[in-house]
Amino acid sequence: MNAAGPGRATQAEPDLVFSCRDASVEFAHQDGPRRILDRISLELRRGEFLTVVGPSGTGKTTLLRLLGGLTPSTQGAVQVNGRPIDGPPAGVVIVFQDYSHALLQWRTVARNVAFGLEGKLPRAEIAARVDDALRLVRLETHKDDHPWQLSGGMQQRVQIARALALRPAVLLMDEPFGALDAMTKAALQDELLRLRDATGSSFVFVTHDIEEAVYLGDRVAVITGAPGHIGRTVAVDLPKPRDQIVTRQLPRFLELRYLLHQAIGQGTHA
Amino acid sequence: MPDVGRFLARANWPGLCTIALGFLLWELLLRAGLAHYQNLPPPSAIAGGLLEITRNGQLLADALHTLRVVLVGWAAALVIGVASGLVLGVSATLRNYSLASIEVLRPMPGIAFAPVALLLFGFSLQMELMVVVLPALWPVLINTMGAVAGVHARLFDVGRTFRLSGAEILRKVMLPAALPGVLVGARLSLTLALVLAVVAEMVGNPAGLGYAVVREQQAMRPDLLFAYVVAIGALGVGLNAALTGAVAWLFPAAAGRLREAA
Repeated sequence: MNAAGPGRATQAEPDLVFSCRDASVEFAHQDGPRRILDRISLELRRGEFLTVVGPSGTGKTTLLRLLGGLTPSTQGAVQVNGRPIDGPPAGVVIVFQDYSHALLQWRTVARNVAFGLEGKLPRAEIAARVDDALRLVRLETHKDDHPWQLSGGMQQRVQIARALALRPAVLLMDEPFGALDAMTKAALQDELLRLRDATGSSFVFVTHDIEEAVYLGDRVAVITGAPGHIGRTVAVDLPKPRDQIVTRQLPRFLELRYLLHQAIGQGTHA
Repeated sequence: MPDVGRFLARANWPGLCTIALGFLLWELLLRAGLAHYQNLPPPSAIAGGLLEITRNGQLLADALHTLRVVLVGWAAALVIGVASGLVLGVSATLRNYSLASIEVLRPMPGIAFAPVALLLFGFSLQMELMVVVLPALWPVLINTMGAVAGVHARLFDVGRTFRLSGAEILRKVMLPAALPGVLVGARLSLTLALVLAVVAEMVGNPAGLGYAVVREQQAMRPDLLFAYVVAIGALGVGLNAALTGAVAWLFPAAAGRLREAA
């Protein structure tokens, strides 16, 4: 696990960012309440990269919305920094799967990235942060473009930059690379790991791609079933920094991949 | 000077040629005696009439009256339409309660209100405004409501994850997202407002361009009658061009999307 980045006042605070204890989510439905998430227990530590992997329909997105304060739990306890979640917590930002709907199409790239900062910081500070964030995702030459002028991968990077500009303690990412081609996906995965090392932020990264979950994660939580339940959590003891070619050929990588396939397979047949 | 050059380059020359050809044909048919109507003046006579009413100031006075009615009525329709469209777009409950009433009121021909307006306000500006505002309201209201209700749910999530207040989400997310729809409504409403103002002046308040048409008809001056009809057309084209220009200047991004929609 990575230490928190420099300049963070971490000594006074406990290491725990999120903790869920038997948290369930139910939605009202015409034939009674429908359970989406079932007794989720989960922890996220500072600087940790947690991936959540599972097939579709297991409530992965709902889990992310639960942590992001967009969907309340109906049972159990969800805490952020030791306090119960009550709406979107400060310093926690969601990066959504559908970037074309999540970007403000009428704003330029730079003004999209500035969105979360407007009115909260002086103008010059916002401009500096926008430039920093765009440099991190390598989009500094596109700051005056509109989102619809960019490729899908670039639009998703704009959304990531918008989240990064806030200098969040936690990024919640919902299958952010799901719609991208393999090459773009690999490049963005490495960018994300580089960003984690540069910023010290924590990540919860939801995906249905087992290899992606192993490649990115410090730990992988397996979510299966409907309602979704977290079966087992696997620590990823692969060397860092990860490398697209070397890491993916390590025997341990293949072992972990096999392990997770097994865990998911059992979960879906149960 | 470059402005004039750009204007000349952008003008729709083939389209203008068709119009000119139409006038020429009209003139020739009448002069050659191939078409014969007692009260149909040739374009040259209409041009003469236009010159006459321009010189004696009638046209300006009448046009200013109508323009004032159109702009005031349109502005009122915009304010009421955008405000109620926003509320109805946001609240599904309110929409459920009021949509039936809207669907009953909306298809009513607006001009049917003219006698009511006459009874209420007599021959007055208020009467004209009532006839203009009620029907011109619907395109703005319906388009605003649809645009606001159609804003993708994800944008609310984005507003919330960045911890914006409800008012901030309304101002920075929903209004801009709905703007192209609002502008479509505003444009339809402006065209409608001119038509209604002219009709209100024809059947009600004896003032402005609409009344001028009736007046010259009763005075047996078809050349002046047609001159006023041309002036009304020119006012419509001018208002539409002014609105399009203003939108392009104020909201360049929305104007681009609006052109695609048109």
